[in-house]
Amino acid sequence: MAGPFLPAPRARLALAASFALAALAGPASAMDWPLAPPRLAANFGTFAKGRVVTGLALAASDGLVRSAEDGEVVFSLEDRRHPAGLPTPLGSFAVIEHQKGMAAVYSHMAPGTFSTYLRKPKAGDILGKPGRSGWIEGDGLGFQVFDRRAGAWVNPLLVLSPLADDKPPVIRSLALSRGDKTYVLGETAALPQGTYRVSVDVSDPADSPWTAGSLAPYGIRLAVDGVEIAKDVFDVARGSGGRLSLFSLSSVPVGELRMREGRYALAERLFTRGRTTIEARVEDAAGNKRSASWTVLLE
Amino acid sequence: MEEIGKKRLAAAGAAAAGIAYFLICAFPLQKELVLVPAWSRSVSEAPVQAGGTRPGAAKAEGGAPIPFRLGERYGYFTPDGSILFAAPVGYGVATAPDAFAAYDQVSEGFSIKSPEGKELARVAASGYPFFAAGRRFVIGPDQASVSELAANGSIAWTYQFPAAVSAFDACPSLAVFGLMDGGLVGLDRSGAAKLEFAPGGSRIACAYGVAVSPDGKLVAAITGADKQRFVVLEKRSAAYRVTYHRYLASDYRRPVYIAFTPDGRRLAYESPSGIGVYEVRSRSESVVSVPADSRLGQTSRGGEFMVFLSGTGAQRRLVCTALPDRRIADLRVKASQAFVVAGDEAAGNALFLGLDDRIVRMDLKER
Repeated sequence: MAGPFLPAPRARLALAASFALAALAGPASAMDWPLAPPRLAANFGTFAKGRVVTGLALAASDGLVRSAEDGEVVFSLEDRRHPAGLPTPLGSFAVIEHQKGMAAVYSHMAPGTFSTYLRKPKAGDILGKPGRSGWIEGDGLGFQVFDRRAGAWVNPLLVLSPLADDKPPVIRSLALSRGDKTYVLGETAALPQGTYRVSVDVSDPADSPWTAGSLAPYGIRLAVDGVEIAKDVFDVARGSGGRLSLFSLSSVPVGELRMREGRYALAERLFTRGRTTIEARVEDAAGNKRSASWTVLLE
Repeated sequence: MEEIGKKRLAAAGAAAAGIAYFLICAFPLQKELVLVPAWSRSVSEAPVQAGGTRPGAAKAEGGAPIPFRLGERYGYFTPDGSILFAAPVGYGVATAPDAFAAYDQVSEGFSIKSPEGKELARVAASGYPFFAAGRRFVIGPDQASVSELAANGSIAWTYQFPAAVSAFDACPSLAVFGLMDGGLVGLDRSGAAKLEFAPGGSRIACAYGVAVSPDGKLVAAITGADKQRFVVLEKRSAAYRVTYHRYLASDYRRPVYIAFTPDGRRLAYESPSGIGVYEVRSRSESVVSVPADSRLGQTSRGGEFMVFLSGTGAQRRLVCTALPDRRIADLRVKASQAFVVAGDEAAGNALFLGLDDRIVRMDLKER
């Protein structure tokens, strides 16, 4: 039985405490998908080519890009047509203010297809065609949601209509790192005591009709000997002080979060001598969960 | 008889007075300024790559090379009429008088080369390069982060903005970025934020155009929608403060052209009725009645003249005007691709006009 593609109750509770939900509290209904049927090549929190995705990458070679909701065009630009000579990795794109303070960026559209006459599109109005403009490898559409009042990118899955999903995320491994050395638990019997970064290699399965790549999970929790040391929800990303941080609850700089493709470093902790159990609990946006634990001997 | 003598005397006196008036009070007529063609070169006859040679091909000896882009070709020419090369653009290219960098669509690195084709640096960075005011930048794939490159191609600093970048300008001391959330951020050469400002007063916040004066003391922007604002900020002690603002009749929802003149005395910006000109010293404005899609091709003769190129498709219009709005030249040309740049003092107030396959030099002369 397929479940709704919505944040799990616990995640939603966590999000309720965040500033992002305050901005989301207004709309009574979810946004429509800007490209149907949706096929997600990357989602919020995915690391791709060394950068974190702060929206959705929708794979499509044809179809039409439609306004996700009633709105007003704030900004649009044809690929490589900026009067100041500024290159635009977003390609041909448009920014539409959908709700008060909530704007969506429709990027990488096919050049020349954006309906420039549109000023106040209604939900479902055709904006253009998916394309390959800007910094994008395949044909498709980029879709980001920006909360103006909070000054943060919001995970679009929080505002879009739910999709069916009954498959839990995958936990591949958990590792402890110190300096330039990384010890994957299960392959390492014992470690010297000390301070380690704890990272987990997780993803959401990519075998659903609406996925076209390995996706990021929605929430990750880590516990050491039953004590929670990290609880992170991929809800918002915020650029502040010149750095990009993820998560509304803990605000982790992306540079500290990324270990390598697919691995998230979520905590740093002093491990003292003895046997220690580390548990990872991961959930996707639909609330599907998976957990795994490892025991390591610190000497 | 006596009556006739009086009349003759009066006529002679009037004639003498007239001659004296012309001799003493004569006001010389103002000399006419005209654009005189100096040379014309075919881009197709230039080498197709930097450092390439072709019989009779030029070397960079005729003055400082000037970068150009004509449609899908880019390269350099010198004021004396030598085209160093004209290469196909590929996906994209960043150009500056001293260097260029061609890049791919999903660029994760590129070379910076001199106009002569010598590799100056190899850069390993995701995103697209762009050069301005002698500085080299890379905008990240998300369009919300910017890095500045050191001379050796290494990344000097990276700055992550709160929202995607919608506008940009730079001078040697300050790079100013306009954001889609309406904010303006000015970064110094170390990547430190020296200006963080969010103009209010509009229903929708967005930065549509920014400009920074050559000395970095003035920052101007066109921001917001319903209503759109023209804002000028001036650096006083350490902080930038608003010294001029005005609501505009425009309601652009796209990037808007705005630029300081090279001498920093004036600011030109796009408006529905022409090009608005802001005088820095007097804080006054005027409008030059050229087509609204005109772009300032720099200034000439100490900033007294402004040169604009307008038009799309096959028709272009070159307008040279003396401020406030005295038309010196108004040329209509057929060209699907065009550019205009004004030479520096060393180039003798020359205008360089690119028209499809040709680059033409025209000198502004008095007659």
